[in-house]
Amino acid sequence: MIALEFPPINEILRWKDLFPSFNKIALIAVAAALIGTVIFLLAGSKDPMKAPKGVRNLAETIVEFIENGIVMQTMGRDGLGWTPFLMSIFMFIYLCNVPGIIPFLQMPATARIAIPMFLSLLVWVVFIGTGFKHQGIGYLKSSLFPPGVPKALYILVTPIEFISTFLVRPFSLTVRLFANMLAGHILLVTFALLSEALFQAKGNPGLIPVGVLPLFMLIFLTGFEVLVAFLQAYIFTILTAVYIGGAAHPEH
Amino acid sequence: MEALSALVAELTGDEEKAAAAASSAGFAYGLAAIGPGIGIGYLVGKSVEAMARQPEAAGMVRTTMFLGIAFTEALALIGFVVFILIGL
Amino acid sequence: MRTAVVTVTGGALRVELVSAESEEGKEFNPEECAFEPETSTPNECGPGPGPIIPEMKELAWGAGSFIVFALLMRVFLYPRLRKGMDARYNSIRDGHEAADAARASARSEVAQYEAAVSAAKADAAKVVDAARATLESERQAQINAANARISAKRDAALADADAARASARGQIEAAVADVVTSAVEAATGKRPDGAVVSRAVADAMSAGVSR
Repeated sequence: MIALEFPPINEILRWKDLFPSFNKIALIAVAAALIGTVIFLLAGSKDPMKAPKGVRNLAETIVEFIENGIVMQTMGRDGLGWTPFLMSIFMFIYLCNVPGIIPFLQMPATARIAIPMFLSLLVWVVFIGTGFKHQGIGYLKSSLFPPGVPKALYILVTPIEFISTFLVRPFSLTVRLFANMLAGHILLVTFALLSEALFQAKGNPGLIPVGVLPLFMLIFLTGFEVLVAFLQAYIFTILTAVYIGGAAHPEH
Repeated sequence: MEALSALVAELTGDEEKAAAAASSAGFAYGLAAIGPGIGIGYLVGKSVEAMARQPEAAGMVRTTMFLGIAFTEALALIGFVVFILIGL
Repeated sequence: MRTAVVTVTGGALRVELVSAESEEGKEFNPEECAFEPETSTPNECGPGPGPIIPEMKELAWGAGSFIVFALLMRVFLYPRLRKGMDARYNSIRDGHEAADAARASARSEVAQYEAAVSAAKADAAKVVDAARATLESERQAQINAANARISAKRDAALADADAARASARGQIEAAVADVVTSAVEAATGKRPDGAVVSRAVADAMSAGVSR
């Protein structure tokens, strides 16, 4: 007989406050910003004329990945000025995601809704601001009344466009990042608890070897979470780039 | 099923409501995962086909594929959030 | 909080719900919840906001650290890295261009050298041809001279031989005429006319020679 109890969701997500207004999530967020800064600081202080290696190589790889993999693919050459913003989003999200698989931290900061919500609201403000800056009030026209639609259909299209552009975008950005990381975290917790409960099965010693199976699953899922952490940061960044690019240059 | 009925038999009142919430949460997530599962499978399959046909366009196809996955996946994730909200 | 207790007996699986207050529930809960300072009772985790409601301190710290990071990146970190990268890329491109220029100049030098070499070769060939032509003409001239000398000698020799033959023939004719004269004188007792004899002898001899 094994007793398997899944703790309530707040228990696997909340941690003790380190001091009253500072908890583990805040710690991870600050650490992410700090690590990102340190990486680029160290990279910037290396001699740029030598072949890059070590931390400079890492930083330059990130820069080139953002430029070639995200900006050039979605915004084109005009969008290269957005590289630092997109790069800080990418690195911040990645460094907030990755503690989900680091032993003893074991908590992705983005599995709590605060950081994803803040970031997607920021992106929302930025892309709407970009739209107004580049097109003035015409931004509303080009985004709410897309050209090439019969006049009568605007009754239908305009509310849909309004909802999908101005309401669903920040919501889906938030939920995509938050729910992915939370789901991964819950999966890890589930398999860890399962294998712990099986290893400690008191009544039935025959169950103890079975505990290896969820352990293997746990290891596999940990590897999978490495991928997810990267992929979610990438998707958030590329969607940001797409939104900003779309606001800066309306489709004709 | 037998286990489930044994589970339901022991419950009363609030507990019954909680059990109903838990099972409906499971159904909600399961149903929400069907559509995006099919969608992502179709999307990735088509993308692989496109990449195999035109390897020189692989970068563009991959970016578009990730975008499509992100949009499709959002539905499943909303289902997951609903699952958390009503189930846990 | 409820605990699902799964019992496996033989092939049958039985699930019981045990309330958290029983022993099975307690072995997990208290240590885990002890992390929470907000918890008033050890058995309930801190109330906290629901999972999809942002917690203000997390929001504030996350926002603050991200904004600082983004501003640092925008103002300081990225431009510095980018400048270094651009400098290196430019130096690499300059190096490539210099190498290309050097290669082009080397190519043109090689071309010049080859042109010079071919010109020199043409000169040499001309000189050789001229030398060969003069040599040939000199040889021809010497051969002609030698031929001329040889033919002159041969002509002289032939002339000598003819003269000798003619003199010999004259002597033979005279001797034959003498013999014929004396023979005819002895036979006829009459001395034949010398001119007739010599003509007959010449006729006979030339007929003998020509036949």
